[in-house]
Amino acid sequence: MSIDLSVNIAGVEFKNPILTASGTCGYGEELADLFSLSRLGGIVTKSITVKPRLGHPPPRTAETESGMLNAIGLANVGVDEFIEKKLPFLEKFDTVVVVNVAGAKIQEYVEICTRLADCPRADMVELNFSCPNVEEGMGIATSAVLAERAVAEVKKVFGGPVIAKLSPNVTDIAEIAQACESGGADAVSLINTLVGMAVDIETFRPRLTNNTGGLSGPAIKPVALAMVHKVYQAVKIPIVGIGGIATADDVIEFLLCGAAAIEIGTALFVEPDTPVKIARDLKKYLSKNKFDSVKQLIGQLRIYS
Amino acid sequence: MSRIVVEDVSITKISDLKRGYFRLNIAPFSKAAKVKPGQFVHVQIPGCGVYFRRAFSIYNFNAADGSIEILFKVVGRGTACLAKCRRGDRLGIVGPLGNTFRFPLKKETPVLIAGGVGFPPMYLLAVHMIEKGFEGERIVFLYGGNTKDDLVDISRIRKLGVELILTTMDGSYGQKGLITEPLKRIIDDRCGKVRLYACGPEGMLQAVDTLACDNDVPGQMSLEAPMPCGVGICLGCVRPLREGGYTRVCRDGPVYNFGEVLL
Repeated sequence: MSIDLSVNIAGVEFKNPILTASGTCGYGEELADLFSLSRLGGIVTKSITVKPRLGHPPPRTAETESGMLNAIGLANVGVDEFIEKKLPFLEKFDTVVVVNVAGAKIQEYVEICTRLADCPRADMVELNFSCPNVEEGMGIATSAVLAERAVAEVKKVFGGPVIAKLSPNVTDIAEIAQACESGGADAVSLINTLVGMAVDIETFRPRLTNNTGGLSGPAIKPVALAMVHKVYQAVKIPIVGIGGIATADDVIEFLLCGAAAIEIGTALFVEPDTPVKIARDLKKYLSKNKFDSVKQLIGQLRIYS
Repeated sequence: MSRIVVEDVSITKISDLKRGYFRLNIAPFSKAAKVKPGQFVHVQIPGCGVYFRRAFSIYNFNAADGSIEILFKVVGRGTACLAKCRRGDRLGIVGPLGNTFRFPLKKETPVLIAGGVGFPPMYLLAVHMIEKGFEGERIVFLYGGNTKDDLVDISRIRKLGVELILTTMDGSYGQKGLITEPLKRIIDDRCGKVRLYACGPEGMLQAVDTLACDNDVPGQMSLEAPMPCGVGICLGCVRPLREGGYTRVCRDGPVYNFGEVLL
């Protein structure tokens, strides 16, 4: 029996539900030294901003229990160089290219997405409303009104599907997800990192020059699952699950909670070939449990009433 | 064929060199024959709860049996745990990672400067130079530490037949004082005909970098930085460049020309 790993999100066909998360795979060049990017369902690029950004001074990362903190500060080449030099590399691979876009104001999202609208291989955009390390960005992430408006404005200029990436650093993530859906988002992805901190007790300094950073890794998986579960009950658009995924078992948990696809982030730092291993193990699980398609798992959680 | 591989390997030998230093042999590593001096492997250390891998310079490799060797000092939780591993234990490694050194010109005298745990890549570079036809006696090798306890595996470097100069801060072995003292003399004596290679603690690298830049001596140094990913995707190990911007030590380095990085 052949096992079908493909999923469909907003009309875009992914050969498997495994994407790499923004900020954990650069623009694909480095991972291509380890495995062919064509083995991925999709690749989500490092966040692109209007102008290049150098990012925060080091230290930018800190190891924590079962995870890490980061405050890279949206270091990226800017939209011009991305389109000129980075996107052509990604076009060589048989995988969905999702361009992650970040900005301080709605107008910046619009400006970048207008440029990307002319790039046939910018298959989808993911709007990073939730980078906790850039002061300005959090406004849109935490305001349902602003999030809805941002999605609606981007939808006017970008013809392809738009994913809104949500922050967990809010009171009610379902409310923001619904606002994005109302604004016309084709999907939501969640969660971005949780605001966190680590302190050096010898120097009395925070371990990051940004003082706080975003917590990621296995430590946040339970939080992410609960939020995916909550959002799944609140919106009709597909959900891309993110947060501490390192194994096929993790992926299955997210699918059962309602995710139609997932993104692998921090696990790539520890095990850069994680997507390849997960695709293999996912097939094994489906075969063992007599499923012929991974779609049969989506939203099949049997909750206690 | 992938340039970088993720593999499980076995510990074939672990040697306690005393005073916190250990030498570890691991195999089989399919890329052992491809290793270049200055490159490193990213090692997943089992059973101690550290989340990231740890980066170790490759000390030596054997293309014939696919083994590589690392030399490390216990400095924290990860290395303490690695030191407790036994023969037959499995480790996950990613590699070979990073760039390598530029070879000296025929007329130049290579001067290798190793400070403490900066020794492994300098040793491998000396081995490589000799394999490529440089006579051992034409290579100057400076090896310094705080005390004689920091000068490990001296017998190995002696066997290469290099001109060896040993220094310790406390005078417990070799010449007393900083490694840069004999280095200054060498630069003065052989002006214009040396090429420096350095690896060691930050203070030593700063001093060597300054000496090299002030005297217009060419060469390179290998940097160390905490590395979450080791493959260039996390942007966590960056250092500032003199010309502006940042460089990823794991992917763009760890080997840099003198004057290139702001130390």
